[in-house]
Amino acid sequence: MGVLSRGIKNAFRNTIRTISITFILGLSIAMALIMFLALQTVNMKIQNVKSSIGNTITVSPAGVRGFEGGGELLTSQNATDLASIDHVAKVIQTTSDRLRLEGSSTVSFGRESTTNDTSTTNLTSPTEPGSFGNRQRRSETGETAATDFAMPIQVTGTNDLGSLESVNASKLDLTSGEKIDPATSENVALVGKDVATKNNLSVGQSFRAYNKDITIKGIFDGGNTFSNATIIMPIKTIQLLSGQSDQINSMIVQVDSIDNISLVSNAIKTKLGEDKVDVTSSEDQVKSTITPLENIKSISLYSLFGSLIAGSIIILLTMIMIVRERRREIGVLKAIGSSNGKIMAQFTVESLVLTFMSSILGIILGVIFSNPVLKVLVNNNSSANPSGANLAAGGPGGRAMGAVMRLGNDAGNALRDIHAIVDYRIMLYGLAAAIVIAIIGSAIPSFFIAKVRPAEVMRSE
Amino acid sequence: MLKVDKLTKIFESGDQKVGAVKNISLYIPDGVFSTIIGKSGSGKSTLLSLLGALDKPTSGTINVDSQDISKMNDSKLIKYRRDKIGFIFQNYNLIPNLTALENVTLPMEFSGIKKNDRIVRAEKLLIEVGLTKDKHNRKPSRLSGGEQQRVAIARALSNKPKLILADEPTGNLDSATGKVIIDLLKNLAKSENTTIVAVTHDHAIADQSKITFKLKDGRLIN
Repeated sequence: MGVLSRGIKNAFRNTIRTISITFILGLSIAMALIMFLALQTVNMKIQNVKSSIGNTITVSPAGVRGFEGGGELLTSQNATDLASIDHVAKVIQTTSDRLRLEGSSTVSFGRESTTNDTSTTNLTSPTEPGSFGNRQRRSETGETAATDFAMPIQVTGTNDLGSLESVNASKLDLTSGEKIDPATSENVALVGKDVATKNNLSVGQSFRAYNKDITIKGIFDGGNTFSNATIIMPIKTIQLLSGQSDQINSMIVQVDSIDNISLVSNAIKTKLGEDKVDVTSSEDQVKSTITPLENIKSISLYSLFGSLIAGSIIILLTMIMIVRERRREIGVLKAIGSSNGKIMAQFTVESLVLTFMSSILGIILGVIFSNPVLKVLVNNNSSANPSGANLAAGGPGGRAMGAVMRLGNDAGNALRDIHAIVDYRIMLYGLAAAIVIAIIGSAIPSFFIAKVRPAEVMRSE
Repeated sequence: MLKVDKLTKIFESGDQKVGAVKNISLYIPDGVFSTIIGKSGSGKSTLLSLLGALDKPTSGTINVDSQDISKMNDSKLIKYRRDKIGFIFQNYNLIPNLTALENVTLPMEFSGIKKNDRIVRAEKLLIEVGLTKDKHNRKPSRLSGGEQQRVAIARALSNKPKLILADEPTGNLDSATGKVIIDLLKNLAKSENTTIVAVTHDHAIADQSKITFKLKDGRLIN
């Protein structure tokens, strides 16, 4: 018999009490664990929202959206100016063009029609015109019908493949081949998987565009039908081939932190002139996504502390009760030569055993209930959130609108896709919480133990 | 050898001072079975707890084995209780969730004796005090009062103390069992050369002791 085995034995001295304490303390540890997980998950989500969709500003030429509207395009000098603004992490430039099928009777569809128009390709668009495509064509050409009409293929030039927004994609997974270097001016391209399928293309082959051979470096899945029907090339290549040198359709400015969005937006307007550019930031949408997440965060933070405090109080009161109950026994131990330290150690072991069993139960309950509880928290807090559905009604337009639409979807997804990540660390957190609780729970009783006079043993009951 | 000189204990509660033990001096040689007799409230138990270093005297000295325990600090007192003193109580005070054997090994654990040696000695002591082997692994609740007191005596002897202090050792026992326990204590005093001080209000027990101290209102009367 040692301190350890006596402590363990004592923990099971009163079975009903041991079971009740294990259950109550287990619940509070489970609660703490669930709230800890919720807090972590929500924090991660907030970081995710802030860094992925929150910190960008779309800069478009005033009055121009994609291939609609009118006005002056942006220049490389504008991009250099923006890059020099404080808190700007990166300026992603894009230039777009539309490639008409060689031999097709259609005019250039959305770009300046010239007699020696070279914006042609031997590729067929995978997209059927449908009523929307035909309406656009009629509005531009005045024709009512054409037998050999085919949709043009959009080609996007970018200087950064890391920005999904700039290439209209919701993801950029290569189904084969490798990525292109967006900084070069080589005649290389990434081809959307629908374009590749429609035209039987594979990596290493080339296609005709602007009367040049363009080598296919890779085939990508952009996660949506629109981007899978497009081609991505380095921006310099597009500018050279399409005769739009130094012209930029739009820029996406990445800001170091979402907190600086307003500041940078204003700086952009001042620098480039408010009448020259339209500046769209995702700040409001991000805020409406983050607000419910922040609410969940504070709820879970308070609940975390609440349940930790509750757990500590449960074990604290239990241990005080046990110590009071065993005053005489403590007196006996002191009378027969035990030091205070040994008695305290014995009671600490007892408290550790109780909290250890509770934390096992707590971990099991925590793992089972973390996702359901998180879902309830999310549902209760996101009902007032303007999610993707509202924004998706934004309608057609250029890149900026597309970005906002996509952001709306992302924001909605941020809440819908939220789920607690349960891994082995949960065990460590649970045990750490248990040890903290056990130590708190036996610290004050230890003081009582030290105060028990050995003469206590002489008192007759 | 136990030598007490001008021992006084005053309890203070608020403004009131109550002298529980007043100016007591006494001497008991080694291996003597002695008793302290007196009515309830006469200060017997207080005197016993001072002798056993369960409480500190207000003034006076206590010499056990040529050591003055009234000058000792707390950690020395723990060692003194552990190594020099064996306690026997009226209500046995065994640890309820430990077996008879485990109760006897407890003081030896505190003084750092090896586990196997503890068990061997505890078994020998339990046999000596008359607890048959089949009862060694019983918990106190499954032993009779007399058997529990035997275990308590074995526990008190486990660290070979110089002084055994017994507080009404037969108070909860019937007279036949009480006589057996007193005989056991008397024999131990002889065979182990241990000084035994037993507090009692039973004159029949006091008559069997070599020395009897009478206490009244905290003072020795002869």
